[in-house]
Amino acid sequence: MTLQMTKTQKLLRFLANNTVPILFLIICAFGIPLSGYSANYLVSEILVRIVRNSFLIISLLIPILAGMGLNFGMTLGAMAGQIGLIFITDWGIVGIPGMLLAMIISTPISILLGWWCGKILNMARGREMVTSYIIGFFMNGIYQLIVLYGMGVVIPVRSNSLLLPRGYGIRNTVNLIGIRKSLDNLLTIRVFGISIPLVSFLVIAMLCLFILWFKKTKLGQDMRSVGQDMEVARAAGIRVEHTRIISIIISTVFAGYGMILYLQNIGTLNTYNSHMQIGMFSVAALLVGGATVAKANIRNVFLGVILFHLMFIVSPMAGKNLIGQAQLGEYFRVFVSYGVITISLVLYEVRKKRDQAQVGLALASEQEAGA
Amino acid sequence: MKLIVNKRFWVRSAAIIVILAFSVFLFFIGRQHTILVDNKSITINETEFQPLQLVEVQINKQPPLELAARDRDKYEATGQKHTVTIMYTDKTWEEHVIVRTFKVPLMQDMLIISIPALVGNPDSEQSVWLENYELPTYAMTAQPAEEHVVTDDFAGLI
Repeated sequence: MTLQMTKTQKLLRFLANNTVPILFLIICAFGIPLSGYSANYLVSEILVRIVRNSFLIISLLIPILAGMGLNFGMTLGAMAGQIGLIFITDWGIVGIPGMLLAMIISTPISILLGWWCGKILNMARGREMVTSYIIGFFMNGIYQLIVLYGMGVVIPVRSNSLLLPRGYGIRNTVNLIGIRKSLDNLLTIRVFGISIPLVSFLVIAMLCLFILWFKKTKLGQDMRSVGQDMEVARAAGIRVEHTRIISIIISTVFAGYGMILYLQNIGTLNTYNSHMQIGMFSVAALLVGGATVAKANIRNVFLGVILFHLMFIVSPMAGKNLIGQAQLGEYFRVFVSYGVITISLVLYEVRKKRDQAQVGLALASEQEAGA
Repeated sequence: MKLIVNKRFWVRSAAIIVILAFSVFLFFIGRQHTILVDNKSITINETEFQPLQLVEVQINKQPPLELAARDRDKYEATGQKHTVTIMYTDKTWEEHVIVRTFKVPLMQDMLIISIPALVGNPDSEQSVWLENYELPTYAMTAQPAEEHVVTDDFAGLI
């Protein structure tokens, strides 16, 4: 026997389960008219953001499947991607070959960092998110040491446009003009004056198909089992630790590729900050799409990109039109991106406790009926 | 750790070799070179070649450039093998087209093609009209003494 829910309860449950997307829909519904942007402009901007960010956000799905929560350690992959981009810029490799070469360079670095991160996360079971977040900060220090003091001294870099005037270390910004939009502009079509980069969408679609296929494989099923209950999975003969490490490695490698796609779209590498910002914004976008720490799918990725970046686009202009200060909108979006992570984490815990309480109530009612 | 040499080992090794070979291939086809096309007088082996009054130059299938005497322009090209096409009209109003293929050393960033030298020696070796070019130091923009590197994520909030 189960507890029957009324329609009002069902509605309340739906609202509670989708609080964050609904909150963002309301913000956007107010922000869009205030910003005064045309529909054409908003759609073209959203398409650009989907192309730019989706790959990175999709890279977060596999660790969630394996029950490791949101992989803040994706910044490690982003760093590997950036190192690949620094090398190809120094060597003067441009276009699609440059992008592919950067991906090949980033792969072993991502695998190594992912394996190391996975090992540590296995030691910190139950606290994976905060641990991966701190690993990101720690690795950022090592990255800075290598890029700021190693490159040009230990690691040969010959381009003066990359090196700091003192002769070693990479500049704050690296111009990626050689690969800028090389994938996006490979094949485009125009619909109602909006340019649609077909190849970039194809790459994202292929990754989505890979994720769907991967979930059905033996390894994918193992990850799902590990995510649901580690002890049961272990009893079933699954190598739990190994499976968890693989999930982090896959996520880190995809994050590296995603970072390369992201930066080819932007065309400028912010050497010391890009990777740290991207981890936070990708996690926030996924949560805005309705994902939780324990459950996320491809629909959450795209809904999240659309809602989160719609807010990003409209908030400065809405802030300017509302109170005459665009900067308020800028602060607002940073505040919201951190805020949404907090709300999602709190709601997840609340929901978990509520579900546990409901299971308890159902059990109690069953026992009463039996007595 | 003991190294197990089985089928999986060989497949993995082959995959790594294929990826490495593919990387080298990408390096070759993606390497960008700046090719300067120069229509200024030049002296080679005590012979002076005068610039052409008007000449059309094309590298590979990129849009052609029209150069007057003493003009210099540039192309960005990827790969090692390129074709230069020169079209000009001489004093008797006869049109000439010179097509030459040349190879660029892999790690050379910038090269210069002397059009008067190529027109004067259309059948000569490429070293006669093509040479490595390095930017003169005075042409480079003065670098700032030091660039402030921002490694703090929260620097913008302070």
